Amino acid sequence: MLKTVKQVMLAGSMLAVAMTAASADDIVVGSAAGITGPIAELVAPIVAGRELAAKHVNEQGGLLDGDTLVLAHADSQCDPTAGVDAGNKLVNIEQSVAIIGASCSGATNGMVQSVTIPAGVMSISDSATAPSITELDDNDLVFRVAASDAYQGVALAQLAINAGYTKLAMTFSNDDYNAGIASVFEQAFKDLGGEITGSQMHEPEKQSYRSELSTLSGGGAEGLALFAYYGSSGITIVRNSLENGLFGKFLAADGMFDTSVIEQIGADALRGNIMITQAASDDANVSYQAYAAAYGPAYESQGYAASAPYAAHGYDAAFLVALAIEKAGSTDRAAMSAALREVASGPGTVIRPGEWAKAKAAIAAGEDINYEGAVGNNDFDANGDVTGMFSVNTVGDGEGYTTDLIR
Amino acid sequence: MEQLYGYFLYSLSLLTFGGIYAILCLGLNIQWGFTGLFNAGVAGFFAIGAYVSAILTAPESPRHLGGYDLPIPVGVFIAMVVCVPVAWAIGRVCIRLRSDYLAIATLGIAEIIRLVFKNELWATNGARGVSFVPKPFEAWDSPWDQIAMALVVLVIVALLYIAIELARTSPWGRLMAAIREDEPAALAAGKNVERFRLEAFVIGAVVMALGGAMMAHYIKFVDPKMAEPLKATFLVWVMLIAGGSGNNKGAILGAMLLWFIWSITETIAPIIIPDSFAHVVYPFHLVASWFLPEAWMATPIAPDPVTGLDSWDSKAPFLRVFLIGLALQIVLQKFSSGILPEQRLQSLADTDDASARAARSSPS
Repeated sequence: MLKTVKQVMLAGSMLAVAMTAASADDIVVGSAAGITGPIAELVAPIVAGRELAAKHVNEQGGLLDGDTLVLAHADSQCDPTAGVDAGNKLVNIEQSVAIIGASCSGATNGMVQSVTIPAGVMSISDSATAPSITELDDNDLVFRVAASDAYQGVALAQLAINAGYTKLAMTFSNDDYNAGIASVFEQAFKDLGGEITGSQMHEPEKQSYRSELSTLSGGGAEGLALFAYYGSSGITIVRNSLENGLFGKFLAADGMFDTSVIEQIGADALRGNIMITQAASDDANVSYQAYAAAYGPAYESQGYAASAPYAAHGYDAAFLVALAIEKAGSTDRAAMSAALREVASGPGTVIRPGEWAKAKAAIAAGEDINYEGAVGNNDFDANGDVTGMFSVNTVGDGEGYTTDLIR
Repeated sequence: MEQLYGYFLYSLSLLTFGGIYAILCLGLNIQWGFTGLFNAGVAGFFAIGAYVSAILTAPESPRHLGGYDLPIPVGVFIAMVVCVPVAWAIGRVCIRLRSDYLAIATLGIAEIIRLVFKNELWATNGARGVSFVPKPFEAWDSPWDQIAMALVVLVIVALLYIAIELARTSPWGRLMAAIREDEPAALAAGKNVERFRLEAFVIGAVVMALGGAMMAHYIKFVDPKMAEPLKATFLVWVMLIAGGSGNNKGAILGAMLLWFIWSITETIAPIIIPDSFAHVVYPFHLVASWFLPEAWMATPIAPDPVTGLDSWDSKAPFLRVFLIGLALQIVLQKFSSGILPEQRLQSLADTDDASARAARSSPS
């Protein structure tokens, strides 16, 4: 029995050696994502976005001399240790030209600091939003198409002031994402003249948040600013607040943006009472529509919507990496970041999601190109960050969200 | 050629990670393997080592305590020193508890330590973690930086192995074995059992802190997720049990083997499981989705409509967890006392082996 096991394992490892070596016509781009772990549900539509971009590239002529863009997936689990392990595999075993990811800020921080920056590999994250990534000493190798929390927190604070709120209570889930955005919001709201009557950190996955909420409700706040993932604590907090009459108005960031919030709380209770900001995507924008028209039908059967958080970012990140490879004209890792900057911002022929053939032709003709992505213009600043765009989602007359872009 | 070079670099990272887990395993082996202390709080000492060393060596930042800019060896040393009073205080309170009670107490304390690091924002930046932790030799050119890092970790493992092996065969080690096998007898021989148990607990904890500090410097980043019990406590336990508790070689082997399996299966899983397997699984998944809550079914294994079966790749990580469980089952069923069972010291082996073993496996 043991002998067989040994043989199987040996055969497996030999196969691995034989088969992970990419064939001559494959260009491998690493895709690190928190496929398992705490945000697995959010990650699946994002990875689908990356795959859709790869499909567009391959259908419309492929990379360089008709080479196939292959995404090599590795599981960064939303954990720094796993992020480093995933990065090591993508850089060394898969020999990735560049890396998309990782998903969570912690995993991204570990992966880029320990693996990809020392190895000189460019990475572009589609959902890591921690402000600390801006400050990395990265030799211009770390980019992201997801806006730093610093921007979304300010956008939500401005929205609250515009809606007439002056006194808010605040609670946030104690994880890297929600704690980050909450601290930015708190500062921005105070700077704009608002008052935070109380702030409570909460641990996710608790059965009830009544005690935290009743403490917060004592301060005379007009509403609750809620920073949490909908599944792990957000819905419970809204339900507890409404059941006990503690809070009736809610402001939230994109961890709460999901239709299950409406399904579980009920549209009537939320109508006019909740505002959720989301990193978005201008629905009226031609680029977004091009992306959504391709994403929607393709993933409908899996239950992924084009508007899923960061799915469009996943698409843009993968498409940008493909453009950078095409622009560089080679798979030389060192050429990627300069090429990425060239294709991401103007001037040049405007390229929109799905327009791979057009981009390929323009680059072949020696023209400059400017990718206007599904999530915005993707013009990177000196730190490799984008300012991003945000939408505000409210519950309208129907049973779903009404989305308006913040301009 | 580049591919081979890639495998070489990857094997260095395997050795470094495996070595760091081996350090943790050796620490646990002192506590459980020799002395029989059921410490389920490895993660707590791991976290102390990681955070103390990270904060002492990281550059100044407005996000957390820091700016001490100490050299890495000094940071690691202080982290180990800090662990002494903490482990002593915990041990002082808990050490009298027997096996499973000690496990519950230490598990709880490790969670307290992790939550302190997670919630004391001024010192640790909370859930967002400490960045810019320096890594030894990072200024060197590749691959020498990675070779040096792996070597340092392996040298530490080797030195620990020699030291712990010497301790094991010394009178001190025999006394530990005596306490584990038959505590009343050790007491009757006039030994201060509680003091020696406490000694083993503190020494083991300090070794764990060393492992935590090395992890922080290798990853260059620390956050509270790294000290979650699943990764930092139970994985270490599984490594020790699979390798052979009580045997230092077994502890190192278990750590290396399990980390290799954990890391390599991700690359192998999509290959050894044929794509057509997705079609085989799908009907079962569909049927299961009629009975199970929707939340459990968040990741359908349906063949991907866009990319054909490519997305199976992205679902393989879920299967990997299952494969590791399966591998563990096989190892534990085949080798019930670990791959390398404990080599019993001569003087103990002379006594009635069967009764000693029975005494050891009974709950108190």
